Amino acid sequence: MITAGIDVGTQSVKAVIVKDNVVISRGRAFSGFDPAKAGELAVAEALEKAKLSLADLKHVTATGSGMDMAPYANSTISMMGADAKAVVYIFPKARTIIDVGAEEARAVKCDEKGIMIDFVVNERCAAGAGAFIEAMARALEVKLEEMGPLSLKAERASSINATCVIFGESDVVSLIHRQESKPEIARAIFDAMADRVSSMVYRLGLNPDVALVGGVAKDIGFVSSLKRKLGIDILIPDYPDFIGALGAALVAASRVKEA
Amino acid sequence: MAMEIVGDVLRGIIISGLLLAGILVILIWVKDKTARISTLRLFVQIAFVPLLFLGLLIGPFGMPQSPQVGNAPREVLLGADILGHTFPDGISLPVLACWYPSGRTVTCPVWQMQAYIFPFWNAGPGFGWGTFYSSSGIERLAILMGIFIVMALVLGRFFCGWICPFGLYQDLMIRVRKLFKKAHLNFSDRTSAALRQSRYIIIAIFLILSVILGSQAIFGAQLVPDTQPGEYFYSYFTAPFCQVCPMRSLCVLLETGLGFMDANFVFSNTHGAFYEVGYYVTSLNLIVLGVVTVVSLAYRRAWCRICPLGGLTALFSTFAPFKRVALMRLHKDEEKCTKCGICKRVCPTQVTEVYEEKGGDVTASGCMLCFRCVEMCPYEDTLKVKMAGKTVLKSRNWLEPSESE
Amino acid sequence: MKNKNETKKYVPEIPQKEIEELRNSIKTTSQKIIAENIERMKKTSKNRAKTMQYFDENANFFGQREKEIQAAKASGKKVIGYMCMFAPIELILAADAIPVRVNSGWYDASKLGDRIVPVEVCPIIRSTIGAKMIGLSPYLELSDALISVLTCDGMTKLSEILSDYKPVWTMPIPRVKDSAHATRFWREELLATKAQIEALTGNKITGKRLRSAIELTQRATKAFRRLQDIRKGAPVIMGRDAMLVNQTYMWDDIKRWTEKTEALCDELEKMAQQKMWACPPDTPRVMITGTPMIWPDNWKAPTLIEEATPQGVLVADELCSSERLLYDPVGVDEWTMDDMLNAISERYLMASTCPCFTSEDGNEDRINWLLTKVKDWKINGVIYYVVRGCMLYAMEYTRVKRVLDRLNIPVYYLDTEYTREDVGQMKTRVEAFLEMLSARVDI
Repeated sequence: MITAGIDVGTQSVKAVIVKDNVVISRGRAFSGFDPAKAGELAVAEALEKAKLSLADLKHVTATGSGMDMAPYANSTISMMGADAKAVVYIFPKARTIIDVGAEEARAVKCDEKGIMIDFVVNERCAAGAGAFIEAMARALEVKLEEMGPLSLKAERASSINATCVIFGESDVVSLIHRQESKPEIARAIFDAMADRVSSMVYRLGLNPDVALVGGVAKDIGFVSSLKRKLGIDILIPDYPDFIGALGAALVAASRVKEA
Repeated sequence: MAMEIVGDVLRGIIISGLLLAGILVILIWVKDKTARISTLRLFVQIAFVPLLFLGLLIGPFGMPQSPQVGNAPREVLLGADILGHTFPDGISLPVLACWYPSGRTVTCPVWQMQAYIFPFWNAGPGFGWGTFYSSSGIERLAILMGIFIVMALVLGRFFCGWICPFGLYQDLMIRVRKLFKKAHLNFSDRTSAALRQSRYIIIAIFLILSVILGSQAIFGAQLVPDTQPGEYFYSYFTAPFCQVCPMRSLCVLLETGLGFMDANFVFSNTHGAFYEVGYYVTSLNLIVLGVVTVVSLAYRRAWCRICPLGGLTALFSTFAPFKRVALMRLHKDEEKCTKCGICKRVCPTQVTEVYEEKGGDVTASGCMLCFRCVEMCPYEDTLKVKMAGKTVLKSRNWLEPSESE
Repeated sequence: MKNKNETKKYVPEIPQKEIEELRNSIKTTSQKIIAENIERMKKTSKNRAKTMQYFDENANFFGQREKEIQAAKASGKKVIGYMCMFAPIELILAADAIPVRVNSGWYDASKLGDRIVPVEVCPIIRSTIGAKMIGLSPYLELSDALISVLTCDGMTKLSEILSDYKPVWTMPIPRVKDSAHATRFWREELLATKAQIEALTGNKITGKRLRSAIELTQRATKAFRRLQDIRKGAPVIMGRDAMLVNQTYMWDDIKRWTEKTEALCDELEKMAQQKMWACPPDTPRVMITGTPMIWPDNWKAPTLIEEATPQGVLVADELCSSERLLYDPVGVDEWTMDDMLNAISERYLMASTCPCFTSEDGNEDRINWLLTKVKDWKINGVIYYVVRGCMLYAMEYTRVKRVLDRLNIPVYYLDTEYTREDVGQMKTRVEAFLEMLSARVDI
């Protein structure tokens, strides 16, 4: 049985095709102004990789903030629900999931079946999410991908405020004025983000094992900050940004079975 | 003989039939749920007056106006013979059904305790106003206390709220006050608690006085003078508390007024210039009755705050270890209670525990189980009256029209 | 009476033309929103009681009821506004005055309030100020005096600001309520307010009048409770409909409201017999608690819950704009003036589960009441709704969550503002929460 999941995120649309609970292909496209079109592109890419056609897809489940706009979708599932499903599929022992996407960070608690029990979403500011790193990278005049490795070079920790992207940026500027080195500022940025994310996790109750997913999980700077903050090891799947789409695809499969 | 039994059974059936009919009528007629239990309680209180003084209704009439008029005719006494002991005074219910007036079917435990501590029996067999006591006071005291404790454990101060005729008297005072649309007063919580404590001081005083005044007979040595048989204290202080009890004067005056007792006889059996002491009534009795009557018009159930009998009943039903086995309990559901304070305000004896305690068993020593709080609590199932763990009554949304129960 | 030339303490002078423009534009939007909200409520309900019609009409702020009150005022009746459910309605009624609650739910008006107080302040307060600045709320405008109960910081200063316009009678409330002196204090406040009401209306509050006022609200409470009790069963009425019924009590004629609510209950009971559910009976049952939600604008949280996929149904709430309003009856022991006043003062102070209270055990009353609701109304999940700036509710959340966690009842903290822009974000959260609930219901 072949099913697909589409995750319509704020920055990119991800698609995953699953055959008998095994991932066979992935596709991605930037959301831009037309997430529906991007969804079609992502699905087309995944289909092409798997050498399948649209008709082979038994059920398509959409997730993500733009799930209502997803093409071909037979059903929808919340991002938290999809995360829980996919993470427990990959790490059967994981019970807490941290999902840091471009504009939203979430912490999800789930049970052994991958059904979420509780969740927290960051307050309405992107300061705890990927967009924050992007804005800060701009302020530091480094590339986004360089931020992580840069921060690892820091020798000591300085701190900034991350209640809000704008204030965070002005804090960064004042660090620059104090002539702090770039690695230290980079680390301060990740520390501030990890602070916010970890306080969310604590509000939920920290249950090992913890998995980190979402695009930001690929950033080694953030990962090492978060590990330091939580004081435990963190599980990171191979394609952290496709977790939402994978979860949706798995849910699609289970919905076919139910029907 | 057989005819008599048939007659008794018939009487019993008629009386219980009337009682049930009354209860049914109240349940059907009183639609206002905030008044149903109160009305029922008033009915039960009134119904119990003739039951407690049944002798007045069924005779024997035309008895000589002699000292015997004070004692109930043996035929109608409740439990005149128990466990091989004769109880010429009958057994006692924990209510102020005074020993002194005519026609009572039960007697007052406070009198009985004092009288049995005070040793009639040492004055010789058969002594005691022409009635026959077959055994010693200690044995009778033990039996009396045994029965008393059992009753306290089963119904607790339910007797105070629903049966006691002096409680009825004070409730009537409340109704009189309500007729004049006057608000009642409240004791401060501290005074109220102090009054509750004073019950035990009163109990201690009359017990100690009984022992002191009976010392000649008990220890063979006089602790105070004039306590030999025939002397001043022996004649008049067999029951020290009864010299001040308002119920004695109320009962005696009422029966005298109704012609069940001979006024000349009652007032000739006094000693001293102004009824200093007396066999049926003393001026202290009258003064206390007057004061209690006036105070009851302002404060609800004023006497019950200091009543030693209520204190005694509470002792055996609301204090450890008795409270663990006592059967009639008031329960509160902590989660359903919103602490609206109605239970505290409507309580005639100003019990605060029902309001203040978190939940569970909230039966307090000041609570006379009148269930006014249960009646007035507007939250379904919050307050419950439990009999041996079974709910017999619970609070309900009294705004709802009554359904048949 | 205040001298008109006297400078205002808080409110800046706004040109009449601007006031008019603002009022007209917000009023037009508001009327549209009222119509839209009702339309959506009708659509959500699979079976909707026909008697809801009355409440739908009454929901229009700028309609029949405004004219009625105007007519009553013309005939000499006084209107007394209040901002908190602690205001003693019985006393107002006994003095033959009309009680109306005047808190504002207009999003747009809150932006006007920003001219006087900072945005961190609770939007209900800001919006009420804004509404007054442009004369938006008909009931606030018609009030001859306002009773302001100083429950939270916002209310305290709001009464100060509104006193620029109207006489405001403040009633400070003790924060720890179960002590003898707290009760005494509150009773004194009640007596002071009684004197003020009598002075304004010129009518003496006699025992007879007070008794009939109490009996009137008791009957309203009876109908009110009946409606909430019906909701314990499978849903025959959507939560928003019930909330609207509850809320119209705040400005409707109480006698008529009671009759209509009784009729509604009759119809709902019949619907329950015929199994005409408002939504599928296995829909997750949600309770909402937290900051009051004021008609017409601030209706987004219940709308989101009941229009979400998967759908949820609000079967209970613990809001002072809805179920807390009228659930507790005035319990009179003896019909003397004294006891009636005691009963009124206790009903408002002691029975309330407002988070402004605390005690040695914290606000135990509210926690217990929430637990009772969860059990009796068979709640699957709780939405804890807080608007930014509402400190008391926000801070009590942690405790509520801990208690509900023990019962394994999911609870979600939904925070928002007086704005329409965050509906998308809120929707994501509400839907995830409901998805979680339906997964549980399925198990």
